[in-house]
Amino acid sequence: MKHYQQTYRKNFALVIIFLILITAALGGTLYTAYNFTANYVENEFASQKIEVLEETIKPYNDFFQNKIPEISFYQGYLDSTQAAKYIDTIFRKFNFVDRVVFYDATISNRTFSEGIRVNNFSLGPKAIYQFSRNIAPDSILVFKENVATKPFSLKSGDEFNKMALKFSGFIELADTSRVLNDSDRFNVFYSVMSKRISYMNIPRREEIKIYKDLMLSNQSLSPMYELDMFSFYLDPLKLRIKNTKPELYESINIKPLVYESLENTSEIISNDLPLSGPFSDYKLYFSSSKTFLRKEINARFLPIAGGLIISYFILVLIAYLIFRNLNINSKLFKLQYDFINNLTHEFKTPVSVIKIAGNNIRSASQLSDRERIHYGKILDEEADKLNDLMNKLLSFTQIENKAIQIKPENINLEVFCQNLIDSYRVKYPDFDISYMIRGVEYFRSDPVLLGSIFQNLIDNAYKYSRPDNKVLKIKITKIKKQLFIKFSDRGIGIPTKDLNNIFEKFFRVQNEYNQQGSVGLGLAFCKELVKFMHGNISVKSVVGKGSEFTIELPYEL
Amino acid sequence: MQLLRNYLFLFVILTTAACSYEGSVERIPLEKFFAAPLKTSFLVSPDGKFISYLKPENNRIHIYVETWDGKNTIQLTCDTNRSISNYFWASNNEILYLNTGPANKDAALVAVKIDGTNNRELLSTTDSRIRLITTSRVFDDHVLVALNKRDSTVFDAYRLNIQTGKLALVFKNPGNITKWYSDPVGKLRMAIASDGVNETLLYREQESQAFNSVITNNFKTTILPLGFSADNTCIYALSNQNRDKMALVELDCKTGKEHKTIYNHPDVDVSDATFSVNKGKLVYAGYETWTKERHYLDDSFKSIFNKLELLLPNTEIRLSSSDSAESKFIVRTYTDRNPGSFYRYTPSTNKLVKLSDVNPSLLIEDMAEMKPVSFKTRDSLIVNGYLTLPKGKNKENLPVVVIPHSSSESRNSWGYNSEVQFLANRGYAVFQVNFRGTKGYGKKFWTAGFKEWGGKMQDDITDGVRWLISEKIADPKRIAIYGYSFGGFSALHGLFSRPDLYQCGASYSGFTNLYTYLKDIPPYFRPYQQMYYETVGNPEKDSEYFRAVSPVFHTDKIKVPVLIAQGARDPRVNMNETNQFVKELKKKNVPVTYILKEDEAHYFRNIDNRLEFYRELEVFLDKNLSRK
Repeated sequence: MKHYQQTYRKNFALVIIFLILITAALGGTLYTAYNFTANYVENEFASQKIEVLEETIKPYNDFFQNKIPEISFYQGYLDSTQAAKYIDTIFRKFNFVDRVVFYDATISNRTFSEGIRVNNFSLGPKAIYQFSRNIAPDSILVFKENVATKPFSLKSGDEFNKMALKFSGFIELADTSRVLNDSDRFNVFYSVMSKRISYMNIPRREEIKIYKDLMLSNQSLSPMYELDMFSFYLDPLKLRIKNTKPELYESINIKPLVYESLENTSEIISNDLPLSGPFSDYKLYFSSSKTFLRKEINARFLPIAGGLIISYFILVLIAYLIFRNLNINSKLFKLQYDFINNLTHEFKTPVSVIKIAGNNIRSASQLSDRERIHYGKILDEEADKLNDLMNKLLSFTQIENKAIQIKPENINLEVFCQNLIDSYRVKYPDFDISYMIRGVEYFRSDPVLLGSIFQNLIDNAYKYSRPDNKVLKIKITKIKKQLFIKFSDRGIGIPTKDLNNIFEKFFRVQNEYNQQGSVGLGLAFCKELVKFMHGNISVKSVVGKGSEFTIELPYEL
Repeated sequence: MQLLRNYLFLFVILTTAACSYEGSVERIPLEKFFAAPLKTSFLVSPDGKFISYLKPENNRIHIYVETWDGKNTIQLTCDTNRSISNYFWASNNEILYLNTGPANKDAALVAVKIDGTNNRELLSTTDSRIRLITTSRVFDDHVLVALNKRDSTVFDAYRLNIQTGKLALVFKNPGNITKWYSDPVGKLRMAIASDGVNETLLYREQESQAFNSVITNNFKTTILPLGFSADNTCIYALSNQNRDKMALVELDCKTGKEHKTIYNHPDVDVSDATFSVNKGKLVYAGYETWTKERHYLDDSFKSIFNKLELLLPNTEIRLSSSDSAESKFIVRTYTDRNPGSFYRYTPSTNKLVKLSDVNPSLLIEDMAEMKPVSFKTRDSLIVNGYLTLPKGKNKENLPVVVIPHSSSESRNSWGYNSEVQFLANRGYAVFQVNFRGTKGYGKKFWTAGFKEWGGKMQDDITDGVRWLISEKIADPKRIAIYGYSFGGFSALHGLFSRPDLYQCGASYSGFTNLYTYLKDIPPYFRPYQQMYYETVGNPEKDSEYFRAVSPVFHTDKIKVPVLIAQGARDPRVNMNETNQFVKELKKKNVPVTYILKEDEAHYFRNIDNRLEFYRELEVFLDKNLSRK
């Protein structure tokens, strides 16, 4: 049968295993987290390029969605000066627009020298202008009707003719009873080619009807209807790249669609995304060196690692705190064990003395007066000791549970001290005890409690002094609203390491003076009392020279 | 004690709240305001024995005839396809009516006996239009009509036999005649020719003769012929030639010289004059100050009106039809708070009998009063308008809806207005301004609005609103601007040019782009185009101005919530532009309520679509003008 030791058990192996385990877990997690972050950054490198594309292409979208349709607002009424103003706003806002050609055109059933003619429908340019930044004023006009120096050429009119052809095809088949839908509008009035967008102002339904009639029926000469057409020449290389993720992409460039990096070292990670619309011959080319990406991985990993390490330390701290708690508990356990040992011993001595005295009295056939007095005295003294012991225990428990009440009265300190000292002089004739009172006469407090404190401290001073040097000086002073009581002895002193513990319950300094008759309650009791009276107790001590206990109590009168 | 005082305070608050709640009028359902009238267009037969009227039935309008005392009602027409756009008594037992199909196509002129028999189509077209030159009595079974079947851009004058249906060309339009006039015995003797900018009055003594030019004037001057004098020596006309305000004048038939001014008013134009065929003379002239008034030129008509005014005090009265002896009348009445009624009236016995109410579902007591107001603009011009305050509220610090009128020229008049009453019932003060450019206040006031769209015209509205604020009527934090067509343009313009003045704005088919607006004029009416170029502006020469005032170019300046209603088939406001406009506003995070109706044009014909619009308008105003 196994016997369990009924004491506190400490298992350092368990603690160490715990530490090793969580450290291993930390290492594992850190490693996984790093790999995960690295993977994540590489994925982001591939996926975030869409956002860069969107941001880069935003001005173009604004240009395409809002600025180009604005041409239709003018309903074909634009002339060269108005067009110049309109184009100027474009040049100012959209730097990727390189050159704009404006075709001021007319529609009629008359025959024009230029342009196209389908049945009776003619669409021809009145004038063609080109605009670009810093263009010489005399080269703005490219073609004008009836101006010999500015002839219509295939080069300048090619785009116009293409659009015009598309438009007349649309007119021929147009269903004028329904509203133009979006796909018609895009297919007919826009022409999006590489690096170029052409746009023709969208006529209203009524006009399309008129044009269709012009084309399909013979009518008298019609008036001239105005139509505006623009060709915008765009330079994709002038698109402003907005690197929204500078931490991911070391460099972003616009490259031709067929571009492949030749310096294909393994140190460079690259990716690309083709542009759309008029820029479809080009792509956004993203590249970063591995060290650059590693920097980013580290930057992202650092907070994760920090978090992990912090939680690790918190775990260790908690483990330590639990360990410390256990330690304290085990110390308390030991103290209580000692206390019971001491107490048993303490009670045993008077009890055995009483028992011996009792036995002696019983076994003696006759008691002489001297014997009777002797035994009586022993019995009386031992009973007093037991009583005293029990009182101490009782009052300590009471005071710990705050079960007693202060009954304050005015104490004349002079009388109080003198009475105490007188009784001690009778008790210990070899005790040189003196007192001094400065600046205070009366003190309002509970005399029983105060007496208890004095007794304990005086008893200690006597007990822990060498027989030839039992000296105690009591000094009572009042400073401001505090009453200071100092007990200075020339005793054996208290070792520095024990100074903090002497007020603990059941604590006893290990030395030859307290082999017996000490429970380790005296100072703890004093401290509880002083605390109970809203005061403070402190100690200074030098081993071999003596100790000085100072009690500080609030003075109120 | 403190607690008691608190309770007392609470009690006072609650009582006040309850009282003020009782003071406000209950919300009348929206549909009631916009209900279509039941019976309209009452006419008396020439012999005075019958009354005819139009009444809707199964989504179509039909002609009904009953005896003068309201017995033996007969439904004359039952066409399920086309609607009646015009009708009149051809004789004592026959009615002529003009029927038009959807989109003004497929028109027909039809005659019918008053017992419903002999219903015969006299004239029917599929792609051309029929205009009636004769609009009242028929002589010798012949009517004069104008048709554009030869050339869709010009109307020739024809004579039509209503018994045989035989059509004979009377006058071939050389291309410039815009209006034909018949004399009282059905002869084509007067016409107006126009080159768009200048108008010429043409006259001939006999139908067999050629037309002579009597007088030519620029379009800024109006000469509106009304009739001939009995002796054929002069023409009665409204004219503002050589004067600012229109006057009723007598013109020489040959020279066009003014014989005399019959009547003029110092402040406003003379707006109409009534010619009695029976008496062969003008009987009264009408003019409109803040309300319509009459100047009598004949004592018997004066006494008729005086008697009617006694029977119908404080009411607008109009004689809408009479028998040929002028002894029996149809009287049309209305006030600002009453959509009005039709009565039959016999002056000899002074007997007035109500025939029908236009909108019987509305209670007059619940309607708000419309009051004339006037204010001084920044350039010290007096501008008139109307203010309708909601009933039962205190008259200060009110939320205001400003409604610029829907055409740039036609004035607001005193009378029942569904829109105004609807908004007033919802607790808004409604402010209507006859800003410069409005006709009726003289030539100068009208022409002051030329090329001032979004300019001084808009300033007048702005000044009016500021005046309302300074009078403490308007709460400067709760002002909205709303309009239809031109009014919508003005509302949108107000929103982008005075973003601080209005908390929100609504545009119902408002012009967003003046370029598009001017495209409306077909290019073969070059002359008219010239007129528009002068009144509105020239899109090529005034391009700067067009760009500056067209809302479509200024979405970036609009910061407050906007409601826009658009018909997809609107020829005057391009849906694509409105879509673009809305798209850009949404992009700039301006709250936009957009109502797009696929099958509607400029004006929403379907009543459900109109009601939906007003429902949205109510929610929109409530959301943006409620006290925060």
